[in-house]
Amino acid sequence: MRNWRRALGYYPLLPLGGATALVWANAAGDSYFRFAQSIAYPVNEIGVTFAIASLAQEVLEAMTPGGTLRSWRAAVLPIVAGVGGTVAAAATYATYIHATDEGILGRGWPIACGVDVFFSVALARALFRGGASVTFVVLVAIVSDVIALAFSSWRPFVDRAEPGAVGLIAIAVAVSIAFRALGVVSIWAYVLVAGTLSWFGCYWSGIHPAIALLPIVPFFRRSPRPLDDLDPLRHGHARYAHFETAFEYPLQGVAFLFGLVNAGVLMRGYGTGTWAILTASLAGRPLGILLTVSIALMIGLRPPRSMRWNDLVVIALLGSLGLTFAVFLSTAVFPDGPLLQETKIGAIATIVGAPIAFALARALRVGRFVQRTGRV
Amino acid sequence: MRRIAVTGLAIVALLRSGSFAQEPSTLPNRPDSLKFAAIGDNGTGDQPQYDVAQQMDRWHHHFAFDMVIMLGDNLYGSQRAADFVQKFERPYKPLLDAGVKFYASLGNHDKTSNDAYKLFNMGGARYYTYARGYVRFFVLDSNILDQPQLTWLEGALRDATESWKIAYFHHPLYSDGGRHGSEVELRVRLEPLFVKYRVNVVYSGHDHIYERVLPQKGIYYFVAGAAGELRFGDLKRSNLTAAGFDQDRSFMLNEIAGDDLFFEAISRTGVTVDRGVIHRDGKR
Repeated sequence: MRNWRRALGYYPLLPLGGATALVWANAAGDSYFRFAQSIAYPVNEIGVTFAIASLAQEVLEAMTPGGTLRSWRAAVLPIVAGVGGTVAAAATYATYIHATDEGILGRGWPIACGVDVFFSVALARALFRGGASVTFVVLVAIVSDVIALAFSSWRPFVDRAEPGAVGLIAIAVAVSIAFRALGVVSIWAYVLVAGTLSWFGCYWSGIHPAIALLPIVPFFRRSPRPLDDLDPLRHGHARYAHFETAFEYPLQGVAFLFGLVNAGVLMRGYGTGTWAILTASLAGRPLGILLTVSIALMIGLRPPRSMRWNDLVVIALLGSLGLTFAVFLSTAVFPDGPLLQETKIGAIATIVGAPIAFALARALRVGRFVQRTGRV
Repeated sequence: MRRIAVTGLAIVALLRSGSFAQEPSTLPNRPDSLKFAAIGDNGTGDQPQYDVAQQMDRWHHHFAFDMVIMLGDNLYGSQRAADFVQKFERPYKPLLDAGVKFYASLGNHDKTSNDAYKLFNMGGARYYTYARGYVRFFVLDSNILDQPQLTWLEGALRDATESWKIAYFHHPLYSDGGRHGSEVELRVRLEPLFVKYRVNVVYSGHDHIYERVLPQKGIYYFVAGAAGELRFGDLKRSNLTAAGFDQDRSFMLNEIAGDDLFFEAISRTGVTVDRGVIHRDGKR
């Protein structure tokens, strides 16, 4: 049972939905795109809201006493590395687009910053079997995603945006504070009342509604958890009181539908956007992470005790996996059409970073292939 | 139910045999008709673009089209002021001097800000519409086909009173180009609107070939993306293909007279590689 629950933490239906979409889109494109476009809105703008909230909840739980990030010292180096990797990925993307004179793709740079947290963590756990390296990967991914989300959530092409509607988000936060003061335990009160207000606030003001629950999440009930363990039961998270437990099964459906709606790309639809995302993810971000860590170490920051340079090289490559989050960012930045196809293919193709990371781990004798050499 | 007929398909046999000869134009060249050329993927600034432009000017002497629709990728590479001269103003100078107006759509290589370039006549908008007599043109930005553009398009199509409706944009909804092919995701968005509001003809570029697609749901589709760039031998004929040419650069001449649209596709060397007439049966 515990293994099953832990497996759910990696959203196993997501790749199933994605694979189905890929086959369907290339076998019968018209019917696939008609279907995908008909349900894209509820999946990407409502369903994903809960997935992002779940991720935010896990990060906040890791920051509570007893969680992985209880000490800022443990988090500062990976956060700095995450920022450096993100800046490098964005710069690489922009440089590539500039060099190829397809400026219309320029607004897609946040896509290059997206990291698939769950896939990266799953690989990190498979390679390192837990510990500081896994936490490092999680933090790099989360920092990258927060930056990318912040820059892609404002949608200039939305119909009739009303910036004043952000007031609804403020009301939603006030409602959450009131619930917390009144000792409201049920997660549904927060989600249905404050969450709905926040969602409409985002929607009407032109902010991507997928982040609507982020201002509400800090008021959810939390328990400490280590970031490298996604098993909710292990940390005493009571169902219905804890968001990620109450939404554990619905999120599986969201994950499947997300893959089904977004991963369907025509294989011949690749283009400049594809190569720009791949270059930024596979070269720009890893190099940025390593360069930033080097600078951070020079100015006195300290890595986790057991971490070595070889580990860092593999960790940096694990940060190259954009996959689902980069696909999501693509849908936030580009409407349906060729640019979306190009960037989605690039996002999906970052999966090649996985075998490269594994091969490198083997070559450098890292993690499960360990044969300890010089420390950082 | 509207029906549109095409005649003059004998050229297909020529295309397949690969033998072309310079023939006199079959365009009726009526004094009161609307005459326009179509070019796509032209803005390389290289010699082949200049050759095509020269050929266009040659034809203009006896077929005086007064406008050119541009199907995107109007400028490749850098797009500074000097590039507008080298890749647009200089090659088409004889036509511009003769008063021919160019109406551009944006391709993936065009900067969005090019919509402000005066000689592209876009009025600072990346999508727009204009009418010439009983023909209305809808110019779309297929790079960013967002909801506001779709809402605008539906309104513009609904309000159009002209008997001919012609849409053009960069990415083809139907194409047998081997490199890109049909943009299915765009097609799912646009085709229902084109069918609902009875668009007659759609022109696109992106694939660097010439292709005439068999009518799809009553609509005629042309790919004319070889007025500067060329992807030699890239046409992968299928059951969509009515005619095509991928051996050299090309452009199109069109003439709308009453319920007939006459067209010719002409190569860089002046050979007519496809011709025909589309008859608009439907009365509004």
